[in-house]
Amino acid sequence: MKLKLTLLAAALASFSGAAVAFDFGKVLEDRVKQELEKKTQTQPSQTTEQPPAEAQGTATPPAKQKIDARQLGMTLLTGYSPEEETRIGRQIAGNLLGAVPLLRDDKLQNYVNLVGNWVALQSGRKDITWHFGVLDTEDINAFAAPGGYVFLTKGLYRRLNNEAELAGVLAHEIAHVTKKHHLKVLKQSSLIGALGQAAGKKAKDSDPVVQNLIGNGAEIMARGLDKNAEYEADRVGIVFAARSGYEPWGLPEVLQDLAGLPDKDSRTSLLYKTHPHPADRLAALGEAVDGRLDAVGGKDVASRFYRIK
Amino acid sequence: MKISLIPVAVLMLCAASASAWAAPGTVLRAEKLYSQPAATSKVTASVPKGARVEILSKQGGWLRVQSGKSTGWIRLLSVRAGAGGLGGTGVGDVVGAATTKSNPSRVVAVAGLRGLNDEDLKQAKFNGDELARMEGHNVTAAQARSFASKAGLAAVNVPELPKPKTAQSSSTWESN
Repeated sequence: MKLKLTLLAAALASFSGAAVAFDFGKVLEDRVKQELEKKTQTQPSQTTEQPPAEAQGTATPPAKQKIDARQLGMTLLTGYSPEEETRIGRQIAGNLLGAVPLLRDDKLQNYVNLVGNWVALQSGRKDITWHFGVLDTEDINAFAAPGGYVFLTKGLYRRLNNEAELAGVLAHEIAHVTKKHHLKVLKQSSLIGALGQAAGKKAKDSDPVVQNLIGNGAEIMARGLDKNAEYEADRVGIVFAARSGYEPWGLPEVLQDLAGLPDKDSRTSLLYKTHPHPADRLAALGEAVDGRLDAVGGKDVASRFYRIK
Repeated sequence: MKISLIPVAVLMLCAASASAWAAPGTVLRAEKLYSQPAATSKVTASVPKGARVEILSKQGGWLRVQSGKSTGWIRLLSVRAGAGGLGGTGVGDVVGAATTKSNPSRVVAVAGLRGLNDEDLKQAKFNGDELARMEGHNVTAAQARSFASKAGLAAVNVPELPKPKTAQSSSTWESN
């Protein structure tokens, strides 16, 4: 159901037929109206009679609604600010850490942050602070939340053989962040407006406004993304790893390893629920890569790879 | 007839080279086998999509495989390791399920371990202390650059990969 809605929203966004465009504009218009009524309750809204173009921000809104409509229009159409994105990511990350804590191994956590930040430097995304963490579970998985919060599990880490493989896994997650895959899902499912002020909120507290946006706990991490977003993250991630000087085959080798696991292994059940099968990912990546990375060398950096004791 | 010969061949290969890790694999798209791990080397054979191979060794982005009587190098991304056949592509899973049993070394004992599930994540409550711990491991760009250069890693210019022309036809894994 959720997936269908997402696909529908994607289809609506990609078709430019007049009827469809009007419907989509109407959705935006209604949402703008809703928000405006919320914020300026004493003043009756004038947006009802406006053509969709007005609601989409291509024309100047009436003076009295200027600030709200602009702010909302910007958020709807050009995305969240880096600050808003970080605020959303912190809430998702904090919830995920409520389900499973970090592995108590400071050397490991520092190592993963060094590798992750080096790869993230090649991603072109410099307006956020990147954080990486290894989760204390034997489950085999990795997660990304908006704003640069990236996780992998101890179960997955233990299967890695060198730094290039770690870089490959982290690069896939970094690509989810740079391509804003989760933000797009949130936007399509809720057409949320500006987050407003986080008044008096302490950093250690849960953020009720964002929590309302993302549903229960960290369920957004269990819902997964469209499979094409996963293929895209593989495609973009392998390039980020190669740009970082690693041999590009780290991610493919991890996928090969996962492909060799029995299908019914309980440690991969969530991974397989939210991702295409590794065999499909290898096939899709193979089509995209073909001979294009033949000339790329790169290092696997096996010698300093940190092993969990 | 033919099937009974394969284990013998595998045994011989293992005996010939201690480092060889003969493992089953399936060819994901029509491909060539090369005499060396390079597309500029001589083509020794062609293999169709779905062909079963034995993976003998790997080097960079290449795997050395045996397919029938032919041996050669094939691109790492053109093969899947494991016994699951074409896997999620909707072909060969029945065979995969059957052959997994015949390869007990790949089955890891996981009794008693339960992975993360939907409910865990749904019920999760915000943990500000753990988040602060994570944010406390922050490293600067300068530290990351220094760390990279210690291993001889330098930024390389690699162009983006093109989007595939055709939509992905495969099913999601969940539907299997």
